[in-house]
Amino acid sequence: MHLLLLGVSHKTAPVDVRERLDFSSRDLGAAVEALATRASSAESVVLSTCNRSEVYVASDNPARARDEIIEFLSQYHSLSPDSFTPHLFSLSDEDAAKHLFRVAAGLDSLVVGEPQILGQVKGAFETAAGRRCTGPMLSKLFHWSFGVGKRVRTETALGEGAVSISFAAVALARKIFGRLDGRRVLVIGAGEISSLTAEHLRAQGVGEIAIASRTAAHAEALAASVGGRAAPWEEVPSLLATADIVVTATGSQRPILSRAHVEATTARHRPDPLFIIDLAVPRDVEASVGDIEQVFLYNVDDLQSIVQENLSRRSREIAHAETIVAEELLKFATWQRSRGAVPTVVALRQRFEAIRRAELQRLDNKLVGLPPEARARVDEVTRLIVEKLLLDPTEQLKALPDEETQVAYTEAVNRLFRLRTGESSSSSTDAAADRADADRQK
Amino acid sequence: MNAIPLVLYAAAAIVYAVHFAKRQPAIGRMATTLLLLAVLSHTFVIGMQTMEVRHVPFASRSHAISTFVWLLALSYIYLEVTTDERAMGVFILPIAVGLQMIPAFSPGIENADPVLDSPWFWVHLLSLMFSYATFALAGMLGLTYMLQFKEIKKKHLGYFYARLPSLHVLDAMNSRAVIVGWLFLTIGVVVGVVWTAQARALAPGNSNLQAMSLNDPKILIALLTWAVYAFEVFARSTMGWTGRRAAWLSAVGFVIVLLNFLPVSYFVTTSHTFQ
Repeated sequence: MHLLLLGVSHKTAPVDVRERLDFSSRDLGAAVEALATRASSAESVVLSTCNRSEVYVASDNPARARDEIIEFLSQYHSLSPDSFTPHLFSLSDEDAAKHLFRVAAGLDSLVVGEPQILGQVKGAFETAAGRRCTGPMLSKLFHWSFGVGKRVRTETALGEGAVSISFAAVALARKIFGRLDGRRVLVIGAGEISSLTAEHLRAQGVGEIAIASRTAAHAEALAASVGGRAAPWEEVPSLLATADIVVTATGSQRPILSRAHVEATTARHRPDPLFIIDLAVPRDVEASVGDIEQVFLYNVDDLQSIVQENLSRRSREIAHAETIVAEELLKFATWQRSRGAVPTVVALRQRFEAIRRAELQRLDNKLVGLPPEARARVDEVTRLIVEKLLLDPTEQLKALPDEETQVAYTEAVNRLFRLRTGESSSSSTDAAADRADADRQK
Repeated sequence: MNAIPLVLYAAAAIVYAVHFAKRQPAIGRMATTLLLLAVLSHTFVIGMQTMEVRHVPFASRSHAISTFVWLLALSYIYLEVTTDERAMGVFILPIAVGLQMIPAFSPGIENADPVLDSPWFWVHLLSLMFSYATFALAGMLGLTYMLQFKEIKKKHLGYFYARLPSLHVLDAMNSRAVIVGWLFLTIGVVVGVVWTAQARALAPGNSNLQAMSLNDPKILIALLTWAVYAFEVFARSTMGWTGRRAAWLSAVGFVIVLLNFLPVSYFVTTSHTFQ
């Protein structure tokens, strides 16, 4: 059984090609099912996000599976194969596994370390598993990749630090106020960047979001979209006095908040500092406002430099994350190789079992005089002897360090015991081996 | 006997420091476990001494310090459990380790003046010890508040920014610690005055009791401490002295407490020498 991966990602294909091959807008489950009906793909999972569309299959005949996947993509998306095959990348076996591990770890993402991808990988697998399109191979591979993603997240700082201006502002707010529940927010100026920041703040559970704009209609539109309240421009001074977080993003050419404005509101008792986020260019808040003791003032450049620093810190963590991927890949490869020994193990067990049964059969007329309990005991004891004899050889065969040794050992076992194993490990013998494994562990 | 808790406190301090640097939850749990073991062994040591001399050991400086460290560790564990914040451990544990060295390396002889055998005296002593422990917490919270404040204010988000709790949480914890400490300090001082008056009547010739007056630096500085924390509590609620100002007061207050607890007790006081 071989792993095969075909796909496009932001690294191989321009956005218009990715859009045309996107599955996420359509029924992903139906797509996986459609793919699974193809003859050569025993197991399949489709991973589709805005940066990638990838098809993972386990197949005995990877060359044919490859053609079938291209045919499937072309039919499903109604595209001619020529329009996307130049952008398609194709990986098999360990390379495919490595790619999935890197994707799950966030190493292949546009923004390295972004956290959503692991959830998307899980979702893709669950959709396929829900439609019974997965089997032992992909199931193991994907679960392994979840583990890799989790390890990278807990053992490295790859996903740490905000990498967008609005997230950086929210992260700062959390370091000042702790939980943001019930904090009062004043947004001055209703532009795109202020709406993004307001949405992130809303997601953190802030209390009232008051939005003031010189154009009342803009304020109302933004208030409606983030669940805030549009406030008249005249209310700004009084809102300033009660706000914990102020976001400014007006198009004004001159500062709209002077030091005197802000001092008038901070002179009163404030249980916590005032956090002003000036997202406007040119700036809306006089620089000297930042000198007031209880005020933290951050402008776009400040936030941008935080973002830059976080990005460079993430890139320093890449090597660490790649090491984890390499370690896990090694373990996964060992597991996969152990699957190669399965046909021999199954044949060996079948042979021993056949001998046992034949001998019991031969002794049947001598045993017939025994009471039923004693006969059952004989059966049990012979079975246990066979189990014990097979225990070590089975484990040794499954733990061989590399492919070459494995071929040599299985060959030797086949000859020593006159086994006739199938040429390839069909899924039915796999299942038999799994059952045998389960029996042995009991 | 105080060496075993010392070793465990030191081990916990190291693991808290590693946790602070690496921020891995498993290491954090290990740090807490070590600290719990340290407190457990310390409780055992103090329990043994208490059974031996029939009161909480305090009369020698070493024993007093050991008891103080024990209360500090307990208060810190309470703080950690209630806030689920381990970052403070790296600031508190070195104090515990540093102070615990004194009883571990120069064990004192517990030989308390019989005049002290009064329930009032125990209330006085334990209230003050406990208030000093909470002031130690508040002082370190104030220090970390200033570190965090400085990084955010200067827009230089560095090492401490990523590791310390939010300003709001630090300020709230500081406020709680100061109020609790100040209440116990008040109780301790008032009970001390009442008990002195009673004890003087019972043991007129006792030189310690005769020396109990504002002329004794230990008592004078204790009242100064009381005034500093009283001001902090009052200024927070009425003058809006929160955040950085409260943090400053807490740090300064703790420096005074520490001065009073160590050098003044060792070398200067005439009234608070109990053997």
